[in-house]
Amino acid sequence: MPRLDPLAFLRNPRSKKVITVPSETRYIRKVSDRILSSIEVLGLDDGKIFDIKLCIEEAVRNAIVHGNHSDRRRSVRVTYGVEDSRLTIEVEDEGIGFDHRTVADPTAQAHIMKNSGRGVYLIRKLMDRTDYNDIGNKITMVKNL
Amino acid sequence: MSVKIENKNGLTVFYVEGEIDINSAPAIKKSFDKLLSARTPKIIVNLSKVSYVDSSGLATLVEILKNMRSYGGRLRLTNLSAKIKSLFEITKLEKLFEIMPDEAEAISTFV
Repeated sequence: MPRLDPLAFLRNPRSKKVITVPSETRYIRKVSDRILSSIEVLGLDDGKIFDIKLCIEEAVRNAIVHGNHSDRRRSVRVTYGVEDSRLTIEVEDEGIGFDHRTVADPTAQAHIMKNSGRGVYLIRKLMDRTDYNDIGNKITMVKNL
Repeated sequence: MSVKIENKNGLTVFYVEGEIDINSAPAIKKSFDKLLSARTPKIIVNLSKVSYVDSSGLATLVEILKNMRSYGGRLRLTNLSAKIKSLFEITKLEKLFEIMPDEAEAISTFV
């Protein structure tokens, strides 16, 4: 009898999972909870789970607050899947986008007390790869598992 | 998330339990407001029971530090988990805050 693979849906690129939420911050945790419970069977260490959770929540928060300006009529679409031991998560909002290259370095002396850009910075540091689409309303994050 | 404030050796020790994120950070700030209004000179924040901090949580701690510095107060953070400490290192906030391994040492050396 063939063994069922609980992660088959994640490994098949054609069956990536999609979560769509309204632009309210109370949905941030729902997104991270769903993704983390989907990959629970992988048995990742706590440090990796922390990083993934933090990056999902930072990206979704930015999409809700900065991308969609907390307009609950606008949605945030999150797509995720596992392929070749890599977790890929895309977070897309309905805003006009932004140029990630213009975000000030939050670790610079002049900006460290300003509290902006730290979420984007943490994602860049904690993920193995981070890309934005041309207009900057979609971030793609990749974590090696 | 819950908070508890105790007085130890004449110092204010602020205990946080749970997660400090975009949803709980405003409540932490509110709990701190009374201490800041009273210009409490020295505060220790014990994070031993904090399992998660996001950028909103870090921002709230920076705001509290800025406020305390404005009146000459001092803030110490203690008992950070290795993961949360690494966030302070990555963001270079470790240079801004007085971070100490444990509360007892933070109290005994807070002169």
